[in-house]
Amino acid sequence: VSPEHLAEIYRTTYRALVRFLYRKVWDAERAEDLAQEAFARALVHKPDNARGWLFIVAANMARDDARRAARERRHLTLLTAEPQESDSATDEALELESDRARVRAALEELSPRDREVLLLWDSGLSYDEIATQTGLACGAIGTTLSRARRRLVQAYEAGKSGKHVARG
Amino acid sequence: MSHVDDGTLHAYLDGELAPAEAQGVDAHLAQCPGCRERLEEERALITRAGELLALAAPPDREVPPFRAGDVKPAARLWWQVRQPLAWAATIVLALGIGTYLGRGFEELREPETAPDAEPVRPQALETPLTSERAQRESRVKVTGAVRKRTAAQPAGPAPAAANRADYVAQRAEASSAQSAPNAAPAPQAGFVSPEGEHDVLRGPLISIDTARALLGRDPLALPGAPIRAVYRARQPGYSAVVIVEQSLDSGTVIEVVNKRASPMALDAVVVAAAPAARADSMRAPERAPQAGERASDSQAALNRRRAALPLASAKAADRTSSGLFLEIRGPVSQDSLAALRRLLQPLRP
Repeated sequence: VSPEHLAEIYRTTYRALVRFLYRKVWDAERAEDLAQEAFARALVHKPDNARGWLFIVAANMARDDARRAARERRHLTLLTAEPQESDSATDEALELESDRARVRAALEELSPRDREVLLLWDSGLSYDEIATQTGLACGAIGTTLSRARRRLVQAYEAGKSGKHVARG
Repeated sequence: MSHVDDGTLHAYLDGELAPAEAQGVDAHLAQCPGCRERLEEERALITRAGELLALAAPPDREVPPFRAGDVKPAARLWWQVRQPLAWAATIVLALGIGTYLGRGFEELREPETAPDAEPVRPQALETPLTSERAQRESRVKVTGAVRKRTAAQPAGPAPAAANRADYVAQRAEASSAQSAPNAAPAPQAGFVSPEGEHDVLRGPLISIDTARALLGRDPLALPGAPIRAVYRARQPGYSAVVIVEQSLDSGTVIEVVNKRASPMALDAVVVAAAPAARADSMRAPERAPQAGERASDSQAALNRRRAALPLASAKAADRTSSGLFLEIRGPVSQDSLAALRRLLQPLRP
C-alpha cells in the first residue's frame, strides 16, 4: 500500500478506528493515540490489506494497553482523573455519562467474540473483513451479530431497570 | 424456502448477503408474514444496538492531519499523563552521593567548581567499576587526581566550536540565581541563549554509547518509552549532561536529563518536559529554587535545596542505590512525575 493510498484509508477509517479503540480502552485520548500509532505502523509495514491490518493491530495494541493499565493501576491511583471536558456536570452530561457507563457494562457482558464482531461491524468492516479478522466463517457473522446485538440491548435494558429499581 | 434464520435476516438487513441469497430471502418474505414480522423486529434490534453503541462513542474530534512523511512509529502509550494544568509541576530529587561522602566531600568540593564548567573528556570519565559502593569509594580516593586532570584540560572535548554555537541556552537565569558562594559560571560566550530562561544547554545528537561514556555509567531512562533522541548538553555546575528524549505517547515528550555534576562524579537525573511544552510549564517562582539547586553540590546546598522544595525533600528521602540526583519535570502532575521517577531504569547496553 502506498502512502497516498494509506492517506486515503486514514481519511476514511481514522474515526472508525478511534471509535473501535475507544470501546476497548474507554479513554478518548488513549484511543486516538493508539489509532495514530496503528497508522504510523502501517506506514512502516505497508500491509496489503491495510484496513483489516489496522484493526488487527489496533485490537492487539488495545489488549496490550489493557494489560499494561492493569499493571500500572497502582500508579494510576496516584494520578488525578483525566480532565473532564464537562466539569460543569450538568444533568444532561451526567445522564450521558451514565448511559455510556451502562453501554460499557452491557458490552462487557458479551462474549469476547460477540463483542469483537459487533465492534468491528460498527467500525464499518464488512462481513468478509470481520471473518478474516476473527477467523469465523463468513456465514457465521450474521448469526454472531444477531446474537451480539440482542444481548447488548438486553444487558443494557437490564442494567437500566436494575439501576432504577436500586434508586427506588 | 424454509423460514429465514436470525443470522440470515441480519446479514440481509446489513446488506451482506450475496445477491442470489438476498433474492431467496425476498421471495420467502413475500409469502411469509411471520418472517416479515421478524424482519421488522430484527431491524429495530439493529437500530437499537446501533444507538446504544453510539452512546458509547468517543467525543467527535477533528481528525489530525495525516503525515505520510513521518514513518517513525508514534510513542508507545504509557498511561494517561496529560495534565494541562500540571505543567508547572517540578520535582527536584536530590539523591546525591555527596550525601554519602559527607563533610570530607564538602571540603574537597569547594575549589573544584571552576573546572566543573568544562566538560570532562569522556575517556576520563570512564571508570569501569562494578558496584556503586566501589565507585563511590574510588571516587573519594581519586578526587585529587581527577581534579588535576580536569584542570589540566582547559579545552572542552566533544563540543567543538561549531557545536557550541548550536547549543541552546535554556535557562540562563540559572547563573544569576545561583545562591551558593561557589556558583557555577554563567554560560560562556559563544553559547546561544535564545530563550534565555533555561539552564540546560542542548548540544548535538549523540549515541547512547557516547552518553554512557560521558556519564561513566548507563544513562537512566523510562523503560518502555521509546527514545526519540539522545543529546549532549551542558549546564553550569555539571561536567557532563545527557538528555534522553522519550515519548510517553504521541503527544507527550519528556526529557530525562542525566547529569554528572562534577569531577567528583555526582550524578543527577532530570526529567524535563519537551521543549515545545516547556515554555509555559515553569513559572518563575518554581524555577528559582531549581536555579539555586544547581549552584552547588555540597551537602549544605543539598539541605538548602530540600528546604526550598518541599516536594523535592520528600523525594530526596527516596534515595536510590544508584546515588543520583533526580529532577523531574513534565506535562504531568507532580504525582505522575513521582511515579515516572520511580520507574527510571539504567539503559543497559
